[in-house]
Amino acid sequence: MATLTDLAELVESGKSKEVRSLTQKLLGENVSADAIITEGVIAGLDALGKKFEKFEAFVPELITAGLAAQEALKVLRPKMTQKALHKEIGTVVIGTVEGDVHDVGKNIVAMMLEGGGFKVIDLGVDVPPDTFIKEAKYHGADILALSALYSPTRLAMKETLQKLIDEGMRDNTKVMVGGAPIDQEFCDLIGADGYAPDAPAGLKLAKTFVK
Amino acid sequence: MKEDQIYKDRRDKINELRSKNEKMTARERTLKAINFEEPDRIPIDNWMVPEIKKRCREYWGCENDEELLAFLGVDVRDNYGPSYVGQEFKKFDDGTVADLWGVRRRVVTYGKGTSYEGTWKEVSWSPLEHMTTVEEINAYEGWPSADWWDYSKMKEECAYWHPEYFVLNKGDRLDRTAQLKPMMYLRGIQQTFIDLAQNPEIVECIRDHIVNYFLEYNPKVFEAGGGEVDMFMMGDDVGGQRGPLLSVEMWRRYFKDAFRKYCDIAHSFGIKVMYHTCGDVYMLIPEFIDAGLDCLQSLQPEATNMDIKRLKKEFGKDLSFQGGMSIQQVLPLGTPEDVRKMVKYAADNAKQGGGYIFGTAHNIQADTAIENVVALFEAYHEYGAYS
Repeated sequence: MATLTDLAELVESGKSKEVRSLTQKLLGENVSADAIITEGVIAGLDALGKKFEKFEAFVPELITAGLAAQEALKVLRPKMTQKALHKEIGTVVIGTVEGDVHDVGKNIVAMMLEGGGFKVIDLGVDVPPDTFIKEAKYHGADILALSALYSPTRLAMKETLQKLIDEGMRDNTKVMVGGAPIDQEFCDLIGADGYAPDAPAGLKLAKTFVK
Repeated sequence: MKEDQIYKDRRDKINELRSKNEKMTARERTLKAINFEEPDRIPIDNWMVPEIKKRCREYWGCENDEELLAFLGVDVRDNYGPSYVGQEFKKFDDGTVADLWGVRRRVVTYGKGTSYEGTWKEVSWSPLEHMTTVEEINAYEGWPSADWWDYSKMKEECAYWHPEYFVLNKGDRLDRTAQLKPMMYLRGIQQTFIDLAQNPEIVECIRDHIVNYFLEYNPKVFEAGGGEVDMFMMGDDVGGQRGPLLSVEMWRRYFKDAFRKYCDIAHSFGIKVMYHTCGDVYMLIPEFIDAGLDCLQSLQPEATNMDIKRLKKEFGKDLSFQGGMSIQQVLPLGTPEDVRKMVKYAADNAKQGGGYIFGTAHNIQADTAIENVVALFEAYHEYGAYS
C-alpha cells in the first residue's frame, strides 16, 4: 500500500504526475490533508533541502520538486471550502521589486514556502512599494519576501521597507530579502529582518519568523 | 582630450603611475600574462555599462570611448564579430523584437526616475517553451544560419587595434558562443531546468541545434579574423551564488563535449579561449581545464568559492584569470578605500607568475559612484606593477 513516505519520496524526486495521483489516492483513503502536507509534501521538500545543502541536488531538482509539491496542493485546494484543510503556518506576500523582471529564483522560493506550509501571495515581478504594502495589509501578511536579481534595483527594497514603517506596519511584518546581489550585509544595511541565500534556507528562515 | 586644468589634474595620478610602470605595449603585456609570464604590470580589461562610461568621459575629460580606454591604460580591445546581414529582425505589435534565435525581447527600464535609470532587453517570449516533442523542435523555423553574417570586415576591424592592443573576439551578448544560455532564451529558464531534470532528449535536441550553429559559425569568424584575433570569449552562466546551478555530472553529460569542441576550434587557429560565467563554479573548474579552457572570466567575489587567492593557488598553473572585482557589493556600496583594498588583495594574490588580468566580475553598474571608479583605476596602476 502506498504511504505518505512514498509521497515524500515522489515530491523529493520531482515526479509531478505520480504526486498528483498518489495525493488523490491518499485523500480517497481518508488520510487527512494535514498529514499529506506535513508527512508527504513538507517531508519531501525537507529531504531535498538537505541534499541541496550538501551539493547533492541543484536548481533543476529544486524546481521539479517545487512543482511536484504544487501538484499535491492543487489536488487539496478544491477541497478547501470554508477554511483551509491543513493548518497554514503563516502568510507570505512575495514579489520581485520594482524595476526588476527576473522571477525564476523568486518562483522557486514561493514554491518552497507554499510546499512548506505557508499561504503564499505571489505578486509577480516589477512590484512597486505601494503594491507590496497594499497587498500585505489586505492579506494580513506575517512576512514580506522581497527579491531582486539585477543589483541596481535592490534599492527598491529599502524604499519598500520605508513605506512599511510609514504605514505603521513594520512591527507586525517580518521582511525577508533574497536574490543574487543580496547578502547579510545588505540585509542589515537596509534594516530587513532576514536574508536567505537560497530557497531551502528561505523556508527555514520564514519558519523562524512565525514560531 | 580636454585640456582644461581640472581634467589634467584628475588625470595626473594615472598618467604618472603609467609612465613609471609601463615598458611594453598593451598587447605584449597581455600576451605575456596569459602565457604565464610576468609583464611590466598586470593587464587591464574593462567592462562598464554605457552610463558609467559616460560619467568617466565627463570626469576625466575624454571626447570618446577610445580616448577613455587609452587614457585608463585598458589593454584589451573588444571585437564584436562579423556584421549581421540576415533577414531583418521581425518587429511585433506588442513592441517586442525577435533576435537571432527568434526569441522575442522587449526593452525594460529599471530604476525609473533615479540616478541609476537604464534599459535592458528582456526575453518576453520563448518560441520553444510549449513544445513537447523533439519533432516539433526540429521543425522550428527560427534556427539561425552561419550564412547570415558578413565576415569581410572582421580582419580589418581587429587589425585596427594591432599591434598596440590585445584583441578579444567576444561577440554580442545575444549571439555569444554558448550552450545553456540560448537554450534558456529559446525554451524559458524554468522549462530548461525542468528539461535538465526530466527530459534529456529535449535538452540534447536543443543543444545540438545550438552547438551545430556555433561549430559552423566560429571557424568562419576565426578564418575571417586572419590572425588578428588574440583571444576568443564564450559565455554561459552556470554558477549560482553558492554553487553551480547544475551538478558536475549533468554539466559533463550535456555540455562538456561541445565546450571542448569550442576550445579546440579556437586553438586550431592559434587563438586562446576565455570563458565568462557568473557565480560559484569552483566544482566545475577542473572540468573546464580538462576541456581546454585557457582563461576564466568573472571570479565573482561574492560567490561562495570564488576567492581569487584560493583559485590562483589551486588552479593557477593551468588556468589564467580575468576579473575578481566586486560589482555587487564593494563598487556600488563600499568606499574608495574599500575599492583600493579589493584591488590590492587581487594583485597581491594573483599576479605572481603572470596569468591574471584585472577586471570587474561583470559590467560596472550605473549604481556605482564615480569616486569608486576612479579609485579602481588608480589602484589598478598603483598595485599592478611587477617591480
